[in-house]
Amino acid sequence: MQVAEAFKHAFLKQMLLGFQASVVSPKSMGFQERKSAIKLSADVAMAVARGTRKWTRGLIAGLSKEHQNRSFLQLILGEQYERLMKPCHSSWKIPRCKKIVRRSLRVCCRRKKKKNQVGVLARTLVAKRTQELKILVPGGESMDGFSLLDETLDYVVSLRAQADLMQSLLTTIEASKLRSHSKGTLPERKASYVGN
Amino acid sequence: MPIEMSSRRSRITDEEINELISKLQSLLPESRRRSTSRASASKLLKETCSYIRSLHREVDDLSDRLSDLMSTMDSNSPQAEIIRSILRS
Repeated sequence: MQVAEAFKHAFLKQMLLGFQASVVSPKSMGFQERKSAIKLSADVAMAVARGTRKWTRGLIAGLSKEHQNRSFLQLILGEQYERLMKPCHSSWKIPRCKKIVRRSLRVCCRRKKKKNQVGVLARTLVAKRTQELKILVPGGESMDGFSLLDETLDYVVSLRAQADLMQSLLTTIEASKLRSHSKGTLPERKASYVGN
Repeated sequence: MPIEMSSRRSRITDEEINELISKLQSLLPESRRRSTSRASASKLLKETCSYIRSLHREVDDLSDRLSDLMSTMDSNSPQAEIIRSILRS
């Protein structure tokens, strides 16, 4: 499963906006501060590129809870910030959903003669792991059953893409640095652009 | 009057859930090595959690490396100019 091309473009563009904000910023940043800004840019880029999902809203909401993030968020999101911060109208409730998923997941377990004991253990494990997952997926605490699985799938695909795109950015910048060092001093390079 | 599961059409079918579970399983790194038999629910959830954590670590590491790379980048460097020109387009 792959993200769309549009996602990749939106991610990279948003990421670069974040870079610009952290590099061109009036104050010079130390390593940790710059790293935090990059990480923040990457998460915002991923959420913006993906669009409206429960986890993207959860992610942005979580990020903006930290005071130190807010001004940076407003800077890199611009007018999108207000829109993204609007409270989400909760989607339709699925009262039976929990039961359906539990029943379906239970089918996965091996059937034994001591069915009751296995059943209880399996249910406890599933409940424990589900709780863990709710913490890992942004906005997960308010999700249940089908919703949680659906959002998890989407989130994992997006995370994979985030890592891949950051790697390709890294590679590109490294390569361009290598080229600019080998081609000589900066003024000479600028002169060659002017002619275009 | 209690409503039986079977007598009520829910909006999400078992089929859809099974499809979701299959898709999730196919994303996990170890699933390629494993046989086609379905993993237990708790195992699937455990591996999903584990995978998400490793992706978080990967992104954290990449952020380290990008921060390192950009430490020598100032607003006059060619890289900054490239970034600016991409953003203009």
